Amino acid sequence: MDRLWRVRKVVRGAAEAEAIVCPGSFSFLGDVELDIAVICARTNPNRGLSIAGKVLVFDESKGSSGGCVVLMTLARSGLAPAAIVTVRPADFNLAEGAILAGVPFVCEPDGDLLGAIETGQVLRVDADGGTVEVVG
Amino acid sequence: MMRLTHEEQAMLDGKDGPVVREAIDYVIQLGEAFGAERLVDIAYCHYPAEMAIYEGSVEELCEYAERGGKVRVPTTTSTLCCDLERPDSTGCPATLCSLQAQAESAHRSMGINDTYTCTPQHLGYTPPFGSCNLLVESSAIIFYNSVLGARTNRGGLLTRYSAVCGKYPLMGYLLDEQRRGTHLFNCSIPDQRLATADGWSALGFHIGAVVGSAVPVIDGVRTDRRDFLIALGAALATSGSVTLFHLVGVTPEAGTLEEALQGGDPEHVVAVSEADLDAAYRQYCTVDTGGAIDFVTLGCPHYDLAQLRVVAEKLDGRRVADGVRCWICTNRLTRRAAAEAGILRPIEDAGALVIADTCPVESHLRQSTCREHALPVPNVRAMATDSFKMARYSADLIGCRTALGGFDQCIAAALSGRWR
Repeated sequence: MDRLWRVRKVVRGAAEAEAIVCPGSFSFLGDVELDIAVICARTNPNRGLSIAGKVLVFDESKGSSGGCVVLMTLARSGLAPAAIVTVRPADFNLAEGAILAGVPFVCEPDGDLLGAIETGQVLRVDADGGTVEVVG
Repeated sequence: MMRLTHEEQAMLDGKDGPVVREAIDYVIQLGEAFGAERLVDIAYCHYPAEMAIYEGSVEELCEYAERGGKVRVPTTTSTLCCDLERPDSTGCPATLCSLQAQAESAHRSMGINDTYTCTPQHLGYTPPFGSCNLLVESSAIIFYNSVLGARTNRGGLLTRYSAVCGKYPLMGYLLDEQRRGTHLFNCSIPDQRLATADGWSALGFHIGAVVGSAVPVIDGVRTDRRDFLIALGAALATSGSVTLFHLVGVTPEAGTLEEALQGGDPEHVVAVSEADLDAAYRQYCTVDTGGAIDFVTLGCPHYDLAQLRVVAEKLDGRRVADGVRCWICTNRLTRRAAAEAGILRPIEDAGALVIADTCPVESHLRQSTCREHALPVPNVRAMATDSFKMARYSADLIGCRTALGGFDQCIAAALSGRWR
């Protein structure tokens, strides 16, 4: 089983935290509650879990361009994810939010990241070094 | 590293002051994140208005405006969390409304046109075909790109800085090669299913979920109606993050299928049938026939004057049922025009509300906002709408049931309080 992936850096920084792994696409507007950072979308298997301080992993962004504002607001309240990892190329909108919010953001892992990890495992994301690693 | 012109380098060196220096620095960071080679001048900006429901957002804007932030390109604003000209109409708490009003003053001082709408195209902000722009609001982004051929990526919080320095990185959908259709959707759908806006919304919702962030080429269906193209785009950008679509024979970069594919082959070919539309309706029609409706929303995305006129004619002097809130959403200038044209009065005499600047999802009605401001949660039980975008976000953010149907069905629900 793969434990280390090469990724493309979008926004600088590093983090180590439990992962929230969403198999499909994710919209910061509509999929997460603004005041408590809990996933609320009916279609998300992680519904009820908080993304605050977690490494949020999903396939790709979807939906409203208000998503980056939600990310920034979560960051102002100390509820932002520790890092964001997307399998597909980064969304311009989300990248803008992550730059301003200072959330490390990487994309395009060189293997099947979504198939290899589960919610609750600990990931280390190093945007500057271009890696994502399972550490626990 | 990005190649800067003398003008851009001077801005970065502080020739135009610290506010512009900071702005171009952010825009360069964004370009470097995506490997852009250089910046381009933008013709138009649609700006994400700071909403009072987002903690600290308005305060930060006001500080920025005081620091002397001024936009250099024609700039309009997206929606707010309340109706500022009629702060009592939506039930938004007074504290939120007065905070939101501070944003309006700040926008004006920055030279931003206070349109507060998701459809700035209705107000004539229509930059030329092929121009480079930067917009927020997913339904506007996709309309400008696809229907007007005015190029933009999915803008975000850095839109402010692009408006202030007039620059954006040359990348993404500003480049010809990114505008090539990737997925071909061959549609075989009876005309009557696409005779109303909700049909186009269902089609967009289905295709968006399949195509994700790629570029769909939609073939086999046609329309010349702007409201249908807006409905299609809004739904594509809800279930997916579609930034550009091509509708063969209709949109300007898709005169033919070959043109939409830029002479290449599609990476995927997908058949779309009536059954796919049925599945979309099943997902978002969670009210039984005959079930109670307590909220009806029309105007997602915001209506223009012609659409308000149709609402007035359809209501035809009848009354909205007791206990039903019926919101018809538009922008403030169009509402003023409707008042002058004698359209506003008949709609509101019927008991419906013409709401400007906002909509149910962007307003205070969200569960999270209700909790923060001690409002009843949830305060909507079942919403009828003809827009999959409205249904998706109200189901998850307001937490209500949704009924998805045609314009006539929505008006009937407003008049009877029942879904038929």
